Amino acid sequence: EFLIFIFPLPSFPLFLSRFNYRSTHHLASHGFYEFLNWFDERAWYPLGRIVGGTVYPGLMVTAGLIHWILNMLNVTVHIRDVCVFLAPVFSGLTAISTFLLTRELWNQGAGLLAACFIAIVPGYISRSVAGSFDNEGIAIFALQFTYYLWVKSVKTGSVFWTICCCLSYFYMVSAWGGYVFIINLIPLHVFVLLLMQRYSRRVYIAYSTFYIVGLILSMQIPFVGFQPIRTSEHMAAAGVFALLQAYAFLQYLRDRLTKQEFQTLFFLGVSLAAGIVFLSVIYLTYTGYIAPWSGRFYSLWDTGYAKIHIPIIASVSEHQPTTWVSFFFDLHILVCTFPAGLWFCIKNINDERVFVALYAISAVYFAGVMVRLMLTLTPVVCMLSAIAFSNVFERYLGDDMKRENPPIEDSSDEDDKRNPGNLYDKAGKVRKHVSEQEKTEEGLGPNIKNIVTMLMLMLLMMFAVHCTWVTSNAYSSPSVVLASYNHDGTRNILDDFREAYYWLRQNTDEHARVMSWWDYGYQIAGMANRTTLVDNNTWNNSHIALVGKAMSSNESAAYEIMRSLDVDYVLIIFGGVIGYSGDDINKFLWMVRIAEGEHPKDIRESDYFTPQGEFRVDKAGSPTLLNCLMYKMSYYRFGEMQLDFRTPPGFDRTRNAEIGNKDIKFKHLEEAFTSEHWLVRIYKVKQLDNRETLDHKPRVTNIVPKQKYLSKKVGFQ
Amino acid sequence: LLNIPHLCPQLQNLLAEKVEQLMEWSSRRSVIRMNGDKFRRFVKAPPRNYSVIVMFTALQPQRQCSVCRQANEEYQVLANSWRYSSAFSNKLFFTIVDYDEGADVFQQLNMNSAPTFMHFPPKGKPKRADTFDLQRIGFAAEQLAKWIADRTDVHIRVFRPPNYSGTIALALLVSLVGGLLYLRRNNLEFIYNKTGWAMAALCVVFAMTSGQMWNHIRGPPYAHKNPQNGQVSYIHGSSQAQFVAESHIILLLNAAITMGMVLLNEAATSKGDVGKRRIICLVGLGLVVFFFSFLLSIFRSKYHGYPYR
Repeated sequence: EFLIFIFPLPSFPLFLSRFNYRSTHHLASHGFYEFLNWFDERAWYPLGRIVGGTVYPGLMVTAGLIHWILNMLNVTVHIRDVCVFLAPVFSGLTAISTFLLTRELWNQGAGLLAACFIAIVPGYISRSVAGSFDNEGIAIFALQFTYYLWVKSVKTGSVFWTICCCLSYFYMVSAWGGYVFIINLIPLHVFVLLLMQRYSRRVYIAYSTFYIVGLILSMQIPFVGFQPIRTSEHMAAAGVFALLQAYAFLQYLRDRLTKQEFQTLFFLGVSLAAGIVFLSVIYLTYTGYIAPWSGRFYSLWDTGYAKIHIPIIASVSEHQPTTWVSFFFDLHILVCTFPAGLWFCIKNINDERVFVALYAISAVYFAGVMVRLMLTLTPVVCMLSAIAFSNVFERYLGDDMKRENPPIEDSSDEDDKRNPGNLYDKAGKVRKHVSEQEKTEEGLGPNIKNIVTMLMLMLLMMFAVHCTWVTSNAYSSPSVVLASYNHDGTRNILDDFREAYYWLRQNTDEHARVMSWWDYGYQIAGMANRTTLVDNNTWNNSHIALVGKAMSSNESAAYEIMRSLDVDYVLIIFGGVIGYSGDDINKFLWMVRIAEGEHPKDIRESDYFTPQGEFRVDKAGSPTLLNCLMYKMSYYRFGEMQLDFRTPPGFDRTRNAEIGNKDIKFKHLEEAFTSEHWLVRIYKVKQLDNRETLDHKPRVTNIVPKQKYLSKKVGFQ
Repeated sequence: LLNIPHLCPQLQNLLAEKVEQLMEWSSRRSVIRMNGDKFRRFVKAPPRNYSVIVMFTALQPQRQCSVCRQANEEYQVLANSWRYSSAFSNKLFFTIVDYDEGADVFQQLNMNSAPTFMHFPPKGKPKRADTFDLQRIGFAAEQLAKWIADRTDVHIRVFRPPNYSGTIALALLVSLVGGLLYLRRNNLEFIYNKTGWAMAALCVVFAMTSGQMWNHIRGPPYAHKNPQNGQVSYIHGSSQAQFVAESHIILLLNAAITMGMVLLNEAATSKGDVGKRRIICLVGLGLVVFFFSFLLSIFRSKYHGYPYR
């Protein structure tokens, strides 16, 4: 009945994540096996990409399956419509599984509140608005559902629930790389239960089954393959499995031995088992059977690691650490109240609340390290906040002994979600409700109770307003179309990206190869349908470094690289005209850094700074910067352009500086297209000249000129 | 060593002598100390067929240069890595010139800041890139090694002597905890104390949600003092950044709101005097409402264009 909450202002962004859509389309039109073998020659030119083996197929298969079933039933929908509406449907399923999980942890009332929270919380809505066709959208559902089934199987100890849990885990593995979180959290839960001496047969059955079946199922995904037994990320699970077996064996021995004998044996046995497991993992890592932690995971522990060693990871804005503002922006009141829920859980601990406490602590750590992992924190925050709020409502909305689920609870959320204006009605109802029971209570008196309830509802109402505002402002505008606001509040739509991609699609050869920085790879492939060199799947660092090198070299050096890569067009993003700060010049230092990592002889980051160590685009900037390809392409003809009368011509609004090199000429490139607001600029790479021209004037010698010769002849006659 | 055929025998002898002398010094200490004369003879004057890395510094205590000492430590680490590596050869030497031993060298090179790292190539004079860019890259041994590899083609793998201080601290902590447990072995109740564990969990949560990890990674200043009017601002104006003081304020606000929620619950469940419970309840409510409004107003001042006026 709470499904009505789930569709938060679907504003139909028309642009799906282009790569996912493209592969789903391929899946729907060519079939599953063809998809697994799909070699995409349009990406990573000239290498190509084996899509089937390097992608988590869960999202595409889900969409393809829904499409297939609907068509079987003669409901003819286009695959695109399925993709657009997949995210809202899955956010509904997430709400249901959050409800189920919270009900297992606390009670039904908290479950309902948690479902309401997760339906509107900004941290998750970014992935659940119609049209966001991302792995994360379905992965959060799989995550919550797996956790629900795991809690269920620990509670019941039945193999049935555990097998369900494994299947759900399998779905999660097929959908998102974040499954590593599950395969580490569940063993941690078991380990802590062992430490707390909460071992039971149920835990043994649940974990043994889960580990074996889950391991085998996860290895069925081509992209995962043998990783679960070969990489360090998965070793904790194996270690806990071995430990659990040893523990169970000792428990069995306890029935056979005297107490004194057992105690010595127990400590010896447990520490021996732990030691052996630990040492064997270290040994196997050293001998190379187990790969060490991969960079992305390693940077979660050693937070300074990525910055020094893997610039490509550090350069992604989603991999930055999180400020308190983004916590508050994404979670609002929940971020302040969920610690209270955690407090209640730990005070009234049991097996499954151990789980949620561990979940909360680990997720909050990861969210602190990387903005992107806010997504895994959001569900647990919703659950714990719901527990805190439902606790308060339970105490203050009336008779706390008898009723398990006060009727006011769900209606209060309903109104705070749907229409904050209705609040007065409901509050009136509350007052009546409480005053009925006031006489039988020896407690706080109706006034205080009413005040508390009203203020709590008001907090929730503010939360709802916040969510609505965030959704309508921040997340529901598609990233391909930019919007700017005038002084009077009217909105301008800057449609430069689409304009440029459409130009590429219409005016270039079908097999033209477009070079751009990797951020735009998927968009070019999806919307312009042209071959790209690098894209958002950043699997090949050296190839990206080569593109970075081309962008940061001077024109003739860059031309050689571009010739060797068969580049036909170069696409860059330039925000100097409209003041768009996410453009390529602002990203440029990352290109230099990544290029320097692979080609330290040719590219040096220090060359791009002024002697004072500043990065400047004006006259004081370093000459290397002022003559590199990226600079020239960004500012070509920009020196002639005067944006308004207060500033000189060639004034860059993003960096607030007058550019230093206004006289830019190209030898090997020519401008092919510049969009309306100069946001996208496309250059064509010229073919080699038929005759090599000299880059200097022919040498003047003192060979006697013709006329003199003639005149001499005349003189002789 | 002597594969430069066009040198006349006299110079060859001189070169061999210099290299031998340098090798002898560097076998004794990995960093060779130089004064003005030695510097001119071994580093400046031709003939050379070796690269020299020179650290110009001022290590005397009266100079009070703490950066020099840190840089010196890194430099020693690097020089030792080179001295004891298998690739050690007579192509590269690490030297040091202290201001109080060779002030004339500083004057000669027009140098007015220490520490400075310079590379003197086998042939010709040092170029601009032969001076290490300390301001920008810092003086970590790894960065120095990278710079040397760039200038001389000699790759040094930095080997740091393992840092035992962390291990010792950990061992101390473990033994302390172990000792405490042993002393109180008859009364181990406190391990099962849920309040303690809950407090610890909440500490982690508050630290993370107030952005301490961001502080740890980015290292922002504690607060900002306006140089013109001397006003100190504790809240950063942009939503993309924060000060340390600010994150501490947020931490306290979050904790107060959580405490308010817990108190509200306590007031309703505990069995005690009604008047006392009422006060607890009102205090809890006050904490939640007041501090949440405060938090919201800080957020609004940072996040422009936010509603609720």
